[in-house]
Amino acid sequence: MTALFDIVFGGVFHAAVLFLVAAGLQLVFGVQKIVNLACGSFYALGAYFGISAVNWAIAAGVPPVLFLPVLILSGIVLGAIGPFIEALLRTVYDRDEAFQLLLTFALVLMFQDVLRYFWGANPQQLGDIASLYGSIQLGAVKGPAYNLLVILASIVIALGIGAFLQKTNFGRILRATAENREMALALGVNARVMYASVFTLGTILGTVGGALVVPTAAASLDMPVELVVESFAVVVIGGLGSMRGALVGALIVGLMRAAAISWYAELEMLAIYLVVIIVLVFRPAGLFGKAVE
Amino acid sequence: MNSKRRKLLQALGGTGVVAAASPYLSFPAFAQNTPIKVGIIAPKAGIAGTIGECGLRGTMFAVERINATGGIAGRKVELIVEEETNPKDSIERLRKLVLQDKVDCVQGIVSSGVSLAMGAVAEEMKALLIFWDGTTQDGVKETMANPRYVFRSTDNECEAVMASLLAIKYWKGKFKTIAGINPDYSYGRNNFAAFQALLKKFGVEHKVVADQWPKVGTTDLNSHVAALKAAKPDLIFSSLLFADLPIFMRTAHGAGLMDGGTKFVFPAAGFQHTALKKSFTPEGMIFGHNTLYFDHKDASPLQKDFVKMYVDKYKDYPHWEADRAYFAMQVFKAGVEAAQKAKNAWPGKEDIISAMEGVKVQSLGGPGHMRKDHIAEQTFYQGLTTHKNSYDFPTLGTVDTMYSDQIQKPPGADFWKWIETAQIKL
Repeated sequence: MTALFDIVFGGVFHAAVLFLVAAGLQLVFGVQKIVNLACGSFYALGAYFGISAVNWAIAAGVPPVLFLPVLILSGIVLGAIGPFIEALLRTVYDRDEAFQLLLTFALVLMFQDVLRYFWGANPQQLGDIASLYGSIQLGAVKGPAYNLLVILASIVIALGIGAFLQKTNFGRILRATAENREMALALGVNARVMYASVFTLGTILGTVGGALVVPTAAASLDMPVELVVESFAVVVIGGLGSMRGALVGALIVGLMRAAAISWYAELEMLAIYLVVIIVLVFRPAGLFGKAVE
Repeated sequence: MNSKRRKLLQALGGTGVVAAASPYLSFPAFAQNTPIKVGIIAPKAGIAGTIGECGLRGTMFAVERINATGGIAGRKVELIVEEETNPKDSIERLRKLVLQDKVDCVQGIVSSGVSLAMGAVAEEMKALLIFWDGTTQDGVKETMANPRYVFRSTDNECEAVMASLLAIKYWKGKFKTIAGINPDYSYGRNNFAAFQALLKKFGVEHKVVADQWPKVGTTDLNSHVAALKAAKPDLIFSSLLFADLPIFMRTAHGAGLMDGGTKFVFPAAGFQHTALKKSFTPEGMIFGHNTLYFDHKDASPLQKDFVKMYVDKYKDYPHWEADRAYFAMQVFKAGVEAAQKAKNAWPGKEDIISAMEGVKVQSLGGPGHMRKDHIAEQTFYQGLTTHKNSYDFPTLGTVDTMYSDQIQKPPGADFWKWIETAQIKL
């Protein structure tokens, strides 16, 4: 029982972070119809900036209990780059998908150099911040409290996005634009504001994900590519453009990875992509995606 | 890219002309005006970036001392530094150093993947090449049994053999189940296999209850730790050595993996020694510092000078790559000077190579020599960790020292057969 808890807990933690990045990817594709490879770069940027933010907080005497809010805030602040990147993407909205992929991949490479310029080429780590939050123990079951807080933060963000999309006017307009862009524009939706807002929100999801994970990991120049590969598995499983798909896809990928590592570590990636292949064969649009007619 | 930016010319010791004058006078007939050019290829970025940086600092320390005392056989040393990246690009930089910069010797390389490919090219180009680290092995099989121009470091498995012997020495009879978490390439797999082979050799009954193979650079190890915890091993053997090692230790500590008295054997942890903080790194684990233990109480004056310089200048504590780099430069220096002395004239490349075979030197971490088959022998340090020190990371409470002829296969031997048949002392 304890072992099962550990495996599931590890898988859900991975899924929680993966969900944030994949949700950003889904949001941007849903409205702007752009497959944003740079979502991995936002994740890495969030991780590096999170380290700097916590170091500043430590220097300023901020109590350790506030480091988690500091990390989330740093991710949100970093979202300010969203409108500038979106302005760049405007040049390819009406062009072939290959151009869009090329431009967002160029952004990945450019961000890698930006990270190298500001933080250096070596992996960066945040001391032992995560353990300051202690452990949770229920009987024989024990796990790091920080990981639980990250899972809870992701759940809150998922619920928040859900409420935002379903209950607010802006969310309704956003969904309408995703459903029928031409009609939304014809009805007077300000596309420029809509796109900039959506892209910024997608950016924030990625940067917050990176900031949240860094106390348990390390920030490295390889992060963007690592995560974007798994995020695409999430998107394929869940269905391109679906937020519910991002949530379920992230859980499937996180748990499959954890199970594979526990039972036969060599199957870690194979297990994930086996699910991807099965979904592509039996449900090409993904579990929650809409089939294109 | 601007070649000036890639070229780090070290006219080191230029101000110490008077001090340097005396050694110059020792070689009046052979001293040349031009410096000896040494090319360095070392990683500057990524997971091995800090390792390359530490090695480069060891080289610069060696060159400063050499130049301050008159250079190598009267000629000052000039360094030209290039970056080690993937095998293809690193080999291009080797060609550039040899053909364009016309260096007298190339040193460096951390990755076995790069050294494996570069060794053959250096032989073909007849370029004198001394590896800091990595080997020219495919797994544990030597691919260059009789090199002429390539000199290489000790086998990568030396630290695993030593750590295994210490685990048996300290804990035989105190563990039955073992688990491994090792990097998913030949180094990690060979190390864990060597550990098990040595347990078998010394009659230690054991059962492998988990083996984890995270890819190098994996930053989320929660699931790996969960799997290890579920297996409840008495002992965990890990040759993680890059940025993933502190992540593993932090994650393991947070998950309670260290609560149950599990024993830890980490042969290569010294690469990350300052990042492994006391708060999540236990006492009493077997911890490998390879060929340089910075805090050795009985260290040589040379090591003490180096560590002091390192701490003062870089605000950090060095690890073994600095020693490997220093050793490579000293082997080259000793070879050149021995050849010059024997020939009574400035030696050619072939003379230098012959003189380097069997040469003994004092490196930062201790004595070492270059075997006739061009494989280094050096002094290794490991031991049990303690928190009783003034640092925020553990050091060694007990220091075990072994010369690598006890933990490295002899010339021409097969690694696995050597483990089976060697008379290895605990």
